[in-house]
Amino acid sequence: MRRIWAALTTTAFTAAALTGCGLGSGDTKNSDSVASAAATGEVKGKVSLQTWALKPKFTDYMQGVIDGFKKKYPGVEVEWLDQPGEGYSDKVLSQAAAGTLPDVVNLPPDFALPLAKKDLLLDVAKADAKLADEYVPGGVDAYRYAGLPGTFGYPWYLNTDVNYWSSDLLTKNGLDPKKPPTTLDELIAQARVMKDRSGGQAYLMSRKPGIGDFYNAGVKIMSDDGRTFTFNTPEAAALLDKYRDAFKAGLLPNDVLTNTYAGNSKLFNAGTVAWTTAGANYITSLATDNPTLAPKVVPSPAMATPPLYVQGLSIPKGTKNPAAALALARWVTSAENQAAFAHLTSIFPSTKASADDPFFSRSDGTNAGDAKVIAFNSLAKAKLIQPVQVDDAMSTIVNQQIALAMSGDASSKQALDTAVEQCNKLLKG
Amino acid sequence: MTHRRWFTPWLLAGPAIVWLAVFNLWPAVNTVILSFTNAKPLGGGQFTGLENYGRLLDDEQLADALLNSIVFMLVCLPLLTVLPLLLALLVQRRIPGITFFRTAFYTPVIASAVVVALIWGWVLDDRGLVNGVLQQSGLTDSPVSFLTGRWLLLFSAIALTVWKGLGYYMVIYLSALANVPPELHEAAAVDGAGPVSRFRHVTLPGVRPTMVLISALISVSSLRVFSELYVLSHGQGGPGGRDMSVVMLIQMYSRGFNGHLGYASALSLLLFVVTLGPMLFLMRLNRKAA
Repeated sequence: MRRIWAALTTTAFTAAALTGCGLGSGDTKNSDSVASAAATGEVKGKVSLQTWALKPKFTDYMQGVIDGFKKKYPGVEVEWLDQPGEGYSDKVLSQAAAGTLPDVVNLPPDFALPLAKKDLLLDVAKADAKLADEYVPGGVDAYRYAGLPGTFGYPWYLNTDVNYWSSDLLTKNGLDPKKPPTTLDELIAQARVMKDRSGGQAYLMSRKPGIGDFYNAGVKIMSDDGRTFTFNTPEAAALLDKYRDAFKAGLLPNDVLTNTYAGNSKLFNAGTVAWTTAGANYITSLATDNPTLAPKVVPSPAMATPPLYVQGLSIPKGTKNPAAALALARWVTSAENQAAFAHLTSIFPSTKASADDPFFSRSDGTNAGDAKVIAFNSLAKAKLIQPVQVDDAMSTIVNQQIALAMSGDASSKQALDTAVEQCNKLLKG
Repeated sequence: MTHRRWFTPWLLAGPAIVWLAVFNLWPAVNTVILSFTNAKPLGGGQFTGLENYGRLLDDEQLADALLNSIVFMLVCLPLLTVLPLLLALLVQRRIPGITFFRTAFYTPVIASAVVVALIWGWVLDDRGLVNGVLQQSGLTDSPVSFLTGRWLLLFSAIALTVWKGLGYYMVIYLSALANVPPELHEAAAVDGAGPVSRFRHVTLPGVRPTMVLISALISVSSLRVFSELYVLSHGQGGPGGRDMSVVMLIQMYSRGFNGHLGYASALSLLLFVVTLGPMLFLMRLNRKAA
């Protein structure tokens, strides 16, 4: 009897486990039928919208946008969900796995890719023929993926990086804030001056190079089909060598080896480091963290091709109300609503119609206003530098190997080879 | 008159059985199954046989992580077994103000591991308190790389774990010490035994079962170390990821949309097997001594 029970239990668990494993496929809805329903259906009923960390700062703005939508389409009901900044990817992942994604979801391109691969997102270009005409190419391209036909999101707001310099620290250490370095070699030369003058108490450089730096050094990061990483080139190794030598000469603090991207701006906020890169809104937020430093910050354009950061709205293919979802995504990302959003904070609209808005090209004379104009002008040449295929685990591995090369425990070539090999394994697995 | 029905015990045990099946047994079985697949969080996953286990053998980071976890255990085990006992003997005495010390030693235990690790990170970084003192006193010219050196980072995490764990194990020892009959100490004293002799022949045998239990707890928690190393290294595991623990590796491979659940499950099972080793050894040791 015991044996029978044991066998039955084992069978039940195995069967349940295999089912839980999700060995089946994703959403089976036909893409064309959903796109057609979205394009031609009547905008009515209930529709849900999920944003990322907009409450409480932008509650009034978003509520205004939603009220405007309800006014335009009477009878439609919008449920707005705003998720906290931390753990958003896990939230989206659990929603996607459970099939409970809201009708319209804020997804940056790297979050949208795995969902698109699983056929969970609607190809919005199929449902909206005007998409490419109304939104800037960089924004639209961010939601097009190699080997995956379609456009899987409406580009929403854009941003890029600006260089920020602490004029106090530069002046105090014999450097001219009006002549910031424009190349890596100039940066290293000025970092040396800073170290010598400050006796090692202040730094100019405080971040490891990353994939963006390799890109700017002319290195091809990925194969065209998006299936292999290729950044273990002699050019990338030469760039890493420069950083390793600078680190060895004490031009960067020790903890740069384990610091993440944000570590650099933390040191800048603390007044230990004279250079950081951040979005156009940085000085405004610095005014809260370090009000003494904020007025003394001088912005300048990024050194080479600036990175393009895109936020967008995607529509799950499983939506029960595709017409309202499409209309809502279009409404939230419309030129008018994006411009209103951009007037509240330093982000930039992804709509072509907003390009001529003088608000973005004119500074109010403050350093924050200058940063906004620099960022706006930089957007024209900004590119999605880091491939969307790079996930958290890959970023960690690349960071670890770059740190290893900088510490001198591995050659640059060795470290890059390891990083590429491990990332390729993850990409294929 | 009492009614005995055959299902009464099952009815009473039912909720616990369901709970164990859903939250313990089922995830364990699922982990075993997943380890033979290439499953991702968004479903899919085909049977890949022993591929994930084969990959364990080629993983250089895993070799480092296993070494780190074992070093962590080997250093923490004696320190956290002996020091809390000495501390318990100290605070067991009934002298004025001793409650303050008991509370002070226990305080780190109630603090969150992440918060404590963050504070230690500030204390140990280049511009932190420790480096400040070392440089001001002329002991070093440049900051010591507590948080970036291959072994220094690991030992910083060990120091943090020991500091945080002292109070917890001290409390366990205090209750064990309270169960050692005072008559034994009195009899030993009458027979001329000094404090050291009484400690060896009365206290130690009295707390031996507790010591074995504590050793087992420390072995398991040391092998599964995560938050201390993760926070101190900003989730990077040091240059080259050489300071990662096995749990950090599991977290790295399993997180995100593209999480490699199959390989992470194989790592989890390996950790389970590795954790069983010291547990069985300690149980055997205890049985022999008994």
